[in-house]
Amino acid sequence: MSERPSLWWIDWRLSRPPLVRETIGRFLYFCLLGFALLSLLLSGGASRFLADRYAITAVLRAEVPPAGAEGLARKVAGLPPVRSAAYRDPEAAWAEFLRAYPGLDPLRGAGGNPMQGYIEIRIRPDRLTGADVDLVTSALRSVPLVEQVLAGDEWLPRLLRAGRLASLACWGIFGAFLAGFFLVGRLQERARALALAGDFAFLAERGVPARRLAFFRAAAAAVSGFLLAAAGTAAGGGALFLSLRKFPFLEGAIGPPSDLLLPRTIAAVALFSCGAALLSAAASLLGWRAARSVRK
Amino acid sequence: MIEGFRLGVFSRGATLWDGLDIAFGDAAAWFVAGPPSSGKTLLLSILRGERRPDAGDVVVSGESLYRGSAAHARAWRASCGHVPEQTIADARLTVGDLFRRSALAGGGVRESERKDRADRLLEMVGLPGSLEWRIAELSISERVRACLAAELLRGPKVLFCDGVVAGAGIPSREMLWGLFRALAREGNTVVLAERTIPERWALAAGDAEPVGPFRVYRLPLPGAKGDPG
Repeated sequence: MSERPSLWWIDWRLSRPPLVRETIGRFLYFCLLGFALLSLLLSGGASRFLADRYAITAVLRAEVPPAGAEGLARKVAGLPPVRSAAYRDPEAAWAEFLRAYPGLDPLRGAGGNPMQGYIEIRIRPDRLTGADVDLVTSALRSVPLVEQVLAGDEWLPRLLRAGRLASLACWGIFGAFLAGFFLVGRLQERARALALAGDFAFLAERGVPARRLAFFRAAAAAVSGFLLAAAGTAAGGGALFLSLRKFPFLEGAIGPPSDLLLPRTIAAVALFSCGAALLSAAASLLGWRAARSVRK
Repeated sequence: MIEGFRLGVFSRGATLWDGLDIAFGDAAAWFVAGPPSSGKTLLLSILRGERRPDAGDVVVSGESLYRGSAAHARAWRASCGHVPEQTIADARLTVGDLFRRSALAGGGVRESERKDRADRLLEMVGLPGSLEWRIAELSISERVRACLAAELLRGPKVLFCDGVVAGAGIPSREMLWGLFRALAREGNTVVLAERTIPERWALAAGDAEPVGPFRVYRLPLPGAKGDPG
């Protein structure tokens, strides 16, 4: 009696050229998906864009000394949702005012610098939520040195909702592309299973169970899916890294290139690769089943 | 030993045969002759474990193929070689693909070894240097011989050939006569299904045993009594 044949990479051993074409296509697609995934992970959808443009301004009382103001700024910077807190003294505030409204220099002549010092607080992109903004503003309002907190209370909820919708739309588009990968992959697997039907029937006639064939094809699809997704995402990440280095203005919307190497980013890529492996295996099994139902 | 007990087949709305008792001993070459549409191909597929008979059972090495364990049936099929009546199903393949596929079914053979053995087998069946040839471009005789050579690559313990002698043509008969008997002498079992037995083979085999619509001959082994050489 013959020994059990190894069925690993059976499609590769039976028919290489179409598989090479499919593999190249999938790799390029994963490069695109990887680029999009990493962009979304770093940017948090629209969060980084909004966080880059949103700031809480704590206007300090006129009598607050610079040392006290800087101490307060350091304390605020220690709050979990805060990315940065910078003190601007009255002179700096006046200079900024003039840059924004040129030609209003005569205002100062009447009674000295009318501007007060303030602390500009920026929120971390991943903590830009109503609750976290409330946490920071309520902490600031309880400080006697602070005269007024400007946090855009009227329009912030609308802005955050728009940001959430934009993020959802971005992830939705990404999900649609992933679903597209699954559907196209299923069609490719079905076409390949049909093309190799004669070979599979040959093997089945010679004692190779169809289930074993389907299992090993799916397992090979999972392994290749994982490797292709990991390699494609790495290549996409490289392209994103170069883009961020070449066009620094993108950092405002996407994030710094160094974030690509954060453990959470790498963990997300590993998770994505596992998901791609599962999708590839499912596409293989469904394609196999569809091909068998056509043959029957 | 392959034994069919009380085999019956219902096909195309009629009973093709029923109550068929047939046995093929090990290490022998058997020739089953039967008229067209008598169910020769069906008989081979039943004996190979591919198609459950509508009545009766097939016993191989003392265990039923259809009522025994699935592992036994799989192992049996893995030990079998089968050269079918020629179809156009494999037309897209090359002769080399047939060998690659056969090697895969046999548990994998190293590529260099496969090529070496394929070259020798193809030379033996009169198709030297044909590894790159496309099946679609081969004649019926060449296809039969290429398929036979590819099956022999795995060294099957039992070889079922359906219409191979007729398909290969008269010029290949001597080669096949020698090949099948040599396989039997080496301990393999060969079962051939054909419409008619070549006259010289029938003379050498002696009296046939009538089994249902078939006549079953046992070909003499080389050097045995009655062997014409």
